[in-house]
Amino acid sequence: MSIIETNELVKNYGDLCAVDHVTLSIGKEVFGLLGPNGSGKTTTVLMLTTLLCPTSGTASICGYDIQKQAEMVRSMISYVPQDMAVDIKLTGRENVIFFAKLYGIPSPKDKADEALALMELNERADDLTRTYSGGMRRRLELAQALVHEPSALFLDEPTLGLDVAARKKIWEHIGSLSRRGMSIFVTTHYMDEADRFCDRVGIINNGKIAACGTPLELKAKLMNDVITVKIEGTCQPPDLEGVWYVGKHEDEISFTAENGKEALPTIAEALTRNNVKIRAMSLREPTLDDVFLQAVGQQEEPYGFADSKFRIMLRRRK
Amino acid sequence: MRGITTFIQRDFLRWERGRVAVFSALVMPAAWLIFVGLALPVKFTGNYLDFITPGILVMTMLSAGLSGGALLMFDKILGFLNKFLALPTPRESILFGKILFITGRGLIQTTIILIIAVIIGASLLHPFQYFMIYLVLFAFGILISSFATTIALYLEDHDSYAAFNTMISMPLFFTSSALMPYNVMPSWLRTIAVLNPLSFAIDAIRDIGYGIIPLFPLAMLVGLAGFIIFLCSHVFRKVTI
Ligand SMILES: Nc1ncnc2c1ncn2[C@@H]1O[C@H](COP(=O)(O)OP(=O)(O)OP(=O)(O)O)[C@@H](O)[C@H]1O
Ligand SMILES: [Mg+2]
Repeated sequence: MSIIETNELVKNYGDLCAVDHVTLSIGKEVFGLLGPNGSGKTTTVLMLTTLLCPTSGTASICGYDIQKQAEMVRSMISYVPQDMAVDIKLTGRENVIFFAKLYGIPSPKDKADEALALMELNERADDLTRTYSGGMRRRLELAQALVHEPSALFLDEPTLGLDVAARKKIWEHIGSLSRRGMSIFVTTHYMDEADRFCDRVGIINNGKIAACGTPLELKAKLMNDVITVKIEGTCQPPDLEGVWYVGKHEDEISFTAENGKEALPTIAEALTRNNVKIRAMSLREPTLDDVFLQAVGQQEEPYGFADSKFRIMLRRRK
Repeated sequence: MRGITTFIQRDFLRWERGRVAVFSALVMPAAWLIFVGLALPVKFTGNYLDFITPGILVMTMLSAGLSGGALLMFDKILGFLNKFLALPTPRESILFGKILFITGRGLIQTTIILIIAVIIGASLLHPFQYFMIYLVLFAFGILISSFATTIALYLEDHDSYAAFNTMISMPLFFTSSALMPYNVMPSWLRTIAVLNPLSFAIDAIRDIGYGIIPLFPLAMLVGLAGFIIFLCSHVFRKVTI
């Protein structure tokens, strides 16, 4: 059963289309909305949390329409914004109790203790949050959001600016919440995290959903192997049998092939023939980064991946 | 309305944590009371302190209200407002909580000023008179705090709000009946002073001191406050959609 549903959701800012006909259906899972800066992730979250009116289209949370039944929607959700907003003049505990009261929870103190313990903050709970580190503030925000056991939890870039250990901790918390039956909508631009911790991801670029599915499904659309070549200068990707160009990122170009080991020398040869200086080559399994590059890299790349070629490739795989 | 008291509690907690500000807001009105109220040689009344105290009380409320206007704007700038708006509590409770907090804080400050006034020689009044004075100050507080909040929401950034604050607070005070009775004012000032909402509050408090129940100025204040609150919730709904 789907908890979050959007149907052709659109948001325009003047001439700019920040969210462009987004249709999603999200159940009790961790759904990751992936996209580069300015792709419309926050705008989407703001509409779903009833903080912004869509230009057109509809969306619902637990069956309640985000515009017509906004109050009901708000009683179903919790929202953690991208920019941290914990009250530095209050202690951690006061911050959480405050939210527990606003959610109308019968025993706010006990519930706050519970949420603080869950986020491993009980030891520092009575310190002013002014003294908290960035990671602790994030966890405090999560504790605030969790006092009310929402059906849908919206997290906008929950791991932004955190170190590796803190990020891992946040994601572990997200995972355990999802196992308790919560639907979690999280935005991020860290591909590796989405790959490891999200049940399903949607890739958004310029407001449009470019790809959507489980990380495995998406990666399976690429071939078995990804070949990355570090080059000097620019190059025209060579047209080779059995090898498909994925995209370019900084000084690296990537290809995908059914058999990477065989493709390696072919690619090297072709590039050398075109007078491209190769500095390094590597072979690996596809990651979400490759999927992302393939899905959104198209228009930024002047002679990049041809859409038709990708379709041919997909047809061959079937 | 659910949530109002919680929002007010939060603001009081934050206020009391900012220790210096709790007292610094009182320095100005206390200085007026002592240096002007006690020292100015005036001829139109025997006890100038009794005459000027209502003006200083209203001035205290005025600056409490104007400085409180920035609170909701800060909540908005710091991202708190967005978190509050996504909560199931009715959205208006954020606004009403803020207005009531600013007014309540102003009432606490005016109480301290009132005590100082009595200590340095203002006449003691009957408890019912004090009750009436609080009623007037409350209505005036609601009027000023919702007015300031509206302007702050409208201006959207702190610098322009601070400029607005300094621009209007002194002129409003000096063009009211705070410092002198209407009959000694130059006629141009009198015209402005009778229209100044500060004068409604000051005249009402003076009337109470003389033992008159100030029905007209009180009604004016309540009416104005109601109108401004209506305007304010309109602007609030617009900025929050
Ligand atoms: N209030 C606004 N007025 C005008 N344009 C806006 C407004 N808010 C966002 N935009 C534009 O909408 C687009 C999408 O913005 P959004 O904040 O949703 O991106 P994002 O995916 O969250 O990016 P980031 O990863 O940087 O947080 C951007 O081009 C942004 O400039
Ligand atoms: Mg964002």
